[in-house]
Amino acid sequence: MESLNSSELLDVARDLVAALESNDEHEAQIHLADLTQAQESDLFHEVGTLTRELHESLNNFNVDPKLINMAQHDMPDTRARLNYVINTTEEAAHNTLGLIDKTLPLSDSLKDTAQKIEDSWHRFRMREMGVDEFRSLSSEIESYLPKVKTQADQIHENLSEMTLAQGFQDLTGQVIRQVISLVEEVENNLVELVKIAGKHQAESNKDGNKADLIKAEGPQIDNTKANVVNNQDEVDDLLSSLGF
Amino acid sequence: MKILVVDDFSTMRRIIKNLLRDLGFTNTTEADDGLTAMPILQAGGIDFLVTDWNMPGMQGIDLLKAVRADENLSHLPVLMVTAETKREQIIEAAQAGVNGYIVKPFTAGTLKDKIDKIFERIDAG
Repeated sequence: MESLNSSELLDVARDLVAALESNDEHEAQIHLADLTQAQESDLFHEVGTLTRELHESLNNFNVDPKLINMAQHDMPDTRARLNYVINTTEEAAHNTLGLIDKTLPLSDSLKDTAQKIEDSWHRFRMREMGVDEFRSLSSEIESYLPKVKTQADQIHENLSEMTLAQGFQDLTGQVIRQVISLVEEVENNLVELVKIAGKHQAESNKDGNKADLIKAEGPQIDNTKANVVNNQDEVDDLLSSLGF
Repeated sequence: MKILVVDDFSTMRRIIKNLLRDLGFTNTTEADDGLTAMPILQAGGIDFLVTDWNMPGMQGIDLLKAVRADENLSHLPVLMVTAETKREQIIEAAQAGVNGYIVKPFTAGTLKDKIDKIFERIDAG
């Protein structure tokens, strides 16, 4: 039965009242059934529409190949990319630290020998040096000069390698950009999903509870947040305000 | 003076160990989270603990609380070196009994400064 407009409803209601007043039970039952049916019909219609909409939305969502691809391929791929970032940066840091370990003894030994020769040279200038000692100083200088060249070359080479090791920034930066764009895509699809489900995004709890507030988050990307300190001085100020 | 350095990143452990070596602390050992650090601490012989906060397994804040709760370790000096910079976290660490708090990235000077301060306070106490 089609749903009734208000004047039709009023007519049925009047007929119902008239039938009740004239004690016509059979007629009254018929009019009452008409009213109930009209209301049920509206409800069924509404539920039917909603069901069809939900069904279509879910169908559209399921068949979106981009989303399936994202879940099956892009997400595992992203994990691999992020692991790559960890491995690459770790390798670069070790590489650089290793080169520093190799370079420091070179500059230290150059300095030590230069210091020794300088002291002897000073004694020579003050005429405090015998002939034999001068001969040994002379041969020391002779072997020191090519050593300076070889070690300076080695230091130069190590520094160049350190420069090269910084290439991780370029490599990881590119990978991280790819991850950012995937995250954006996932975010957009999640927003669509929330819309389809017909729910409103819940207002995030601004206060949060204590467990959330002290949860480890790693480096803060946005230092302008009110509850984040920006440097060691602010940490020290906060701690001294607590009696440290 | 034996120092335990706890961080899940081996590069950071290496950097901290190198800086400590330059400061004259050559006797160091490592762990990669609270769970591996605790048995080392309980075995004894560690005089100073340097720990990160954000680690898989057992986090630095929980390691700090476990140390303070252990009667043999409760007085061990603990220096936190972490990228965690929220005020609530620093307050939590202070209340849990941390002796110093350094935020990453940090300098050799900051590390020296905080370690010196911790020993000054221990000597004064």
